[in-house]
Amino acid sequence: MSNRKTYTRTTKPGKRREKWTDILPRYLTFISHMRPILRETRRIIKDLDPDLLLDIEILDKIRQEEEKRNIRTVRALSEFSAMYRSNIYEIMKDFILKYHDKIPIIDIKDYIMDFLHESVDALDVLRKITNPDKKYYENTYLYRLVKFLEEKIFPRGNSVKVIYEKLLEHVPQFYECQRHLLQPHTYYREKIENADLFEIPGISPKIYQIINNITSLYNLDPNYGAFPEKEKHEIPMILTNDVFAPYIDSIANAEEDAIEKIAERIGLRIIDGIFLAPEESFVKILLENNFLRENKQADGTLRYVAQFSNETLLMYYLAFASMRRGFLSRELINWISMNFAFLIYMGVLKWKLSEENIFYSIFKDLQTNEKVLPYLMKLICFPNYLGIDKMKIRDSPQYRKEIFNFIGSQIDNLKELILEVAVECEKIDKEKK
Amino acid sequence: MTAEIKDTTWKELLEEFIKGVDKAVEELGKRDVENIPGAREALLTRLNNMKMHFPKNNGEIFIRAINDKIQNAFFPETMDFSQAFRDIVKSRTHEQDFIINELLNGFVSSKAKAIALGTEGPIIDRMVEAFAKRNDFHIVDYQFFAMFGDPNKPRAYVKNQLQKLIDLFGLVSKELVVEKDIRRSEKKIYTFYTFPEEILEILAEKYVIFDEEIEQARVSEAFDRNVFICMFLANLAINRDNIEKIGGSYTINGISAIFALILLLSFMPKLSVEENNPILRDPSFKEDNMSVIPKSWMMKQILEPLFEPLIKIIAYRLGGGLWLSKVITSEINKKIHEQIRFLLKDVNKWILGNLCRVEIPIFVEIANIFTEILVGYNEE
Repeated sequence: MSNRKTYTRTTKPGKRREKWTDILPRYLTFISHMRPILRETRRIIKDLDPDLLLDIEILDKIRQEEEKRNIRTVRALSEFSAMYRSNIYEIMKDFILKYHDKIPIIDIKDYIMDFLHESVDALDVLRKITNPDKKYYENTYLYRLVKFLEEKIFPRGNSVKVIYEKLLEHVPQFYECQRHLLQPHTYYREKIENADLFEIPGISPKIYQIINNITSLYNLDPNYGAFPEKEKHEIPMILTNDVFAPYIDSIANAEEDAIEKIAERIGLRIIDGIFLAPEESFVKILLENNFLRENKQADGTLRYVAQFSNETLLMYYLAFASMRRGFLSRELINWISMNFAFLIYMGVLKWKLSEENIFYSIFKDLQTNEKVLPYLMKLICFPNYLGIDKMKIRDSPQYRKEIFNFIGSQIDNLKELILEVAVECEKIDKEKK
Repeated sequence: MTAEIKDTTWKELLEEFIKGVDKAVEELGKRDVENIPGAREALLTRLNNMKMHFPKNNGEIFIRAINDKIQNAFFPETMDFSQAFRDIVKSRTHEQDFIINELLNGFVSSKAKAIALGTEGPIIDRMVEAFAKRNDFHIVDYQFFAMFGDPNKPRAYVKNQLQKLIDLFGLVSKELVVEKDIRRSEKKIYTFYTFPEEILEILAEKYVIFDEEIEQARVSEAFDRNVFICMFLANLAINRDNIEKIGGSYTINGISAIFALILLLSFMPKLSVEENNPILRDPSFKEDNMSVIPKSWMMKQILEPLFEPLIKIIAYRLGGGLWLSKVITSEINKKIHEQIRFLLKDVNKWILGNLCRVEIPIFVEIANIFTEILVGYNEE
């Protein structure tokens, strides 16, 4: 029998490395390998006679030589470096082949130099996005950009009311982004209701449809009933049965069973077991924002008539989630931090890279994204930033593939927000100087 | 005399619609849920105008609205896949994409059991991702398994799922037989999936940067999920006579209902609001491309008598008697219609309790047909 001691792992891998000083080096690992490759390439191209660029084999040989100089000992890193370098050279080759008939080779060289320069600059910003220790974080790009985005799509505040009003301010410009933030693509993993703990999940397409139905029913022909907290006042109420009447073949049974929980997340409550009506605190918010108007009845009661907008209930959901951000579901945490990380990453690229930069595709490649974004997501979760539970960020490569796939289907409004982030980056940069 | 005048089915459908309008007018008389003065009256006038003018010239307004507008934008009348796809892609605008998306969302949720089970939503995004990342515009089945396979499910499951999507979007497969695999020296068959040749040409023009010199195609940013949705619609349009192939009566009812909703929305009258109405101060309301319309038509009692005949009219014009016979008029289907009335939320928005229509091309063009005929009649 062998005397070798067996080691039993008691904690899940990766779970102990969750301090700022653990995650930041991981975030920097790949970036700090990408930058020298681009700088080396820039130096090589700079020293190369432009006419030699026309011979594509020369570029291949240079790349092979460069690869020999690879001294990385960690396999994942050397594989990544090789992949990264080969992508850069392939893109340069394609560019030369494509334009050598149309543009003088000396200009092609200048273009490549400029593109490489921009890419190194972008990586410089990503490398210095925050401080190694947590000191003086208020002036870092990461902090400023998180707060900039947070204010627009996931603001903080002392009460749901404050948050709700902050959100409404940005509805005209970024409603689609705000709504997007609540709709994880992995919604099918969500539990609508968790009997054992208070948890806020994301919105599935069906729940989104149900919330829209509720909005429409309030605006169309609601019932009116006594406001439980205020005498001689009536609030609009709709029948839960009306909301679920269109759903046949039990396709919305789970949602119907969980209606109380869903209602709570959109500021509503169940009255007499059959009606959906706004909570007392929500009535105040609705009145202040013109989503309810007063109508004096002949008998002297004051009736609150609903005049909801598309965003009325959805923004409550977002404000409620923001207020209770410590209780978000795993899917929602991954989704929100993913969106923030993606917006910041793309915003920096938008700022530094010109539209025609040939290396844009490498930055947006899934293989690059999956090396940078997961750690950026975790950094964004820290208390001074978004303040959500970073331990819920999933580490499995399979899951990462799943969430990064959403990048292929960005919504237009996200692109507008990316542009705003780029402008903000410029502003921060000027202030730093 | 044209053949259509002899068409008794068409005549019956028009009559049925007029009966529906009568019923809606009657119901509208009973309740007023509008908060804009004159809104109910405007809707009543519109319904009465519809009653008077729609049956004229053998239902000219319907024929022109459906044949010329809806078909051109979403469901081209052709047997040529590339032509159908070209037409749908051509009519894309940011807002029209919302309709196309809604169309598919409604459709997918009704077919949830058939397509991709719990993951039906993101699956299209995954397809976009898979294609957009490959510069040769092909995906290999193994690549798909690697990207989307679930280690907890057998390979056959993913394979099956992929095949369903390939059929749904009208993609084509090609096999590559390798006599000796480099790793095991065994015979191996790779299956590639790509777009049909003629579609690739259109994509090349619009979404793909195709480089003949290096024989590589790069996919531009504009290539998104809606390209697939256009493929899906084009595939349905050209296979409209093969009901089994397009998913049976579910598809027919779903598509006809969404197009009926588009028709109905286009026919709604624009309301003028008083200067002090808060909607004019709401930052979400864009005066230049939005119109306030009456909301009463959304009430169950009014929509129900209008919707069913309208769905039949659409079904008949798109797929003839074959489609008409597949329209389900059961009580259950009426419930599904209730679900549809609140769709198209991004082009049919609620702003402070008022219903606003975003004036996208399809609505404007259909409304213009009606106005043109109405003006012609008044001049006479």
